Amino acid sequence: MRYYSYYPGCCEEGTAVGYGMSTQAISHALGLGLVELEDWNCCGATPYGSADLLESLGIAARNLALAEKARFTVPDEKDIPEGKARLDLVTCCSCCYNTLNRAISLLGQYPELKSQVNECLAAAGLEYKGRVRVRHLFEVIYNDIGLDFIEANVVSPLTELKVASYYGCQMVRPEPGFDNPNNPQSLDRLVASLGAEPVPYPLKDRCCGGSLIIPELDLTLGLIHQLLESAATNGAQCIITVCPLCQTNLDAYQSKVNSKFKTSYNLPILFFSQLIGLALAIAPESLGLSTNIVSANQMLDQISMRKSYAMQGAENG
Amino acid sequence: MGISAYLMIKMGKIDGGDGQRDAIRELEAMPEVATVEPVSGQYDLVVEATVDVPARARVIAKEIQAKKWVERVHVLKVEPAEPNPFLDEVCSLPGGECVRWCMQCGMCSASCPNVNQMDYSPRKIIAMIRAGRRYDVLTSNTMWTCASCYLCTARCPKDVKITELMHSLERLAARHSLRCEGVSTPAMYKAFINSIKNNGRVFEMGMMIRFYLTTNPLSAFRMLPVALQLLLHRRLAIMPKRIKGVEQIKAIVQRAQALGGER
Repeated sequence: MRYYSYYPGCCEEGTAVGYGMSTQAISHALGLGLVELEDWNCCGATPYGSADLLESLGIAARNLALAEKARFTVPDEKDIPEGKARLDLVTCCSCCYNTLNRAISLLGQYPELKSQVNECLAAAGLEYKGRVRVRHLFEVIYNDIGLDFIEANVVSPLTELKVASYYGCQMVRPEPGFDNPNNPQSLDRLVASLGAEPVPYPLKDRCCGGSLIIPELDLTLGLIHQLLESAATNGAQCIITVCPLCQTNLDAYQSKVNSKFKTSYNLPILFFSQLIGLALAIAPESLGLSTNIVSANQMLDQISMRKSYAMQGAENG
Repeated sequence: MGISAYLMIKMGKIDGGDGQRDAIRELEAMPEVATVEPVSGQYDLVVEATVDVPARARVIAKEIQAKKWVERVHVLKVEPAEPNPFLDEVCSLPGGECVRWCMQCGMCSASCPNVNQMDYSPRKIIAMIRAGRRYDVLTSNTMWTCASCYLCTARCPKDVKITELMHSLERLAARHSLRCEGVSTPAMYKAFINSIKNNGRVFEMGMMIRFYLTTNPLSAFRMLPVALQLLLHRRLAIMPKRIKGVEQIKAIVQRAQALGGER
């Protein structure tokens, strides 16, 4: 087992329960020990950073300070590799990933800001030293677990399933991270390692509008429409995402797009963890697939049909 | 405030080395030279120098003329640098200093998914900040229409943190109580932050109700089908989840406000 401090983010308790369920379901199979950061708070996201800088950094840094403290209470201390790994704070939400990393880079860049933030944290009996590293769950799976391991553990390959990999914005930008920010490839490789077929998806790193869906509905529906159109014209049977906001926008607002643009898209929007879970033959209920609004049942039927054909073929030899 | 002198330089032949780049470095090393930019046309470089008396511009021109690789120098303009408090204010914010080195290529505007809905494109906003048009900038809808997708930031050849700048402008507008008609993003942000202050985490249902009550309650009807679907699929919590450290959150916020909040 590899242990990490885990920061679920607010969405996992609300609009993205399926993300949390599928993450829990696959983490055991992949040898990932995700230890939830105790009493974490919301990272503040874009709205707080746009209202007050110092407050927003203090709010975000509370989590970082908690993570620095928590590293000593991780179970099975001897299983943990030496070095930095203990200070990794893993999150599955691209928005939390970006906000917490932004806080780290601003506090590193402006020392006077860091001392002010520490003054705020001191009021809560905490201190931020600057040693924690925030990582995206997908990046941890991609780099630490590795696609070879996943490929070797696939129980039911998703043969012939055509998948559009949607990276969204905040996992690949603004800092050049683990993948090329101009043409990310990592999710497509994951799709291939699960036996499925990645389709070309030119808009894979374009914006879904994020939280602007609430105040600027029409503007955001336009963006979502483009994303769905691009996936559909490239023959995708489903889209996978790494971000709870992207999933909600593409999934819950798909019917709104259909009525506004007179289209008839019926594309299931899966979390990448749900797709991994399907290939590991984990039951759809444990992956939270019933919480997806655009039903994935038709797609699941196709997968199981192909599987039974393949099995028959093998029996007939 | 000093006086700005603009000099145009036509380069001659340079032996060896990396011609224009070395020339720029040499000019930048001069104490009064502020910026050097390559240009196309009759001249190759434009130099902006800050001087204390206008006559000093001629002296600098002569000094440049004396360099081996310079063919000719033309003093374009000598003018008193106007004070621009708005530019200084923006530059004092983290990330805002980048505004000074934007070269107005327009890559940000070309990359922006929402540029069509903006009063002024991101490139224009930077030009307006440099022109000191504080009121027009802070009452525009530009920053409120930014979805924080960071495409502009990732693509900017001069490393200007445009998304960060947009957030800074949002904070400036809010601090000076400057509003943009018909934009409800600030109300959403307020509802969101309120939820964090009360619970430590975001309670989506409460946030949405607060948002629609403070903006346009009727528009909530448009969202009902979506909310209903989310509810049916167990994706909307009915009750907020309050963290144990809510008091810590309050203490952090209070101390931040006592420190003057915004830098």
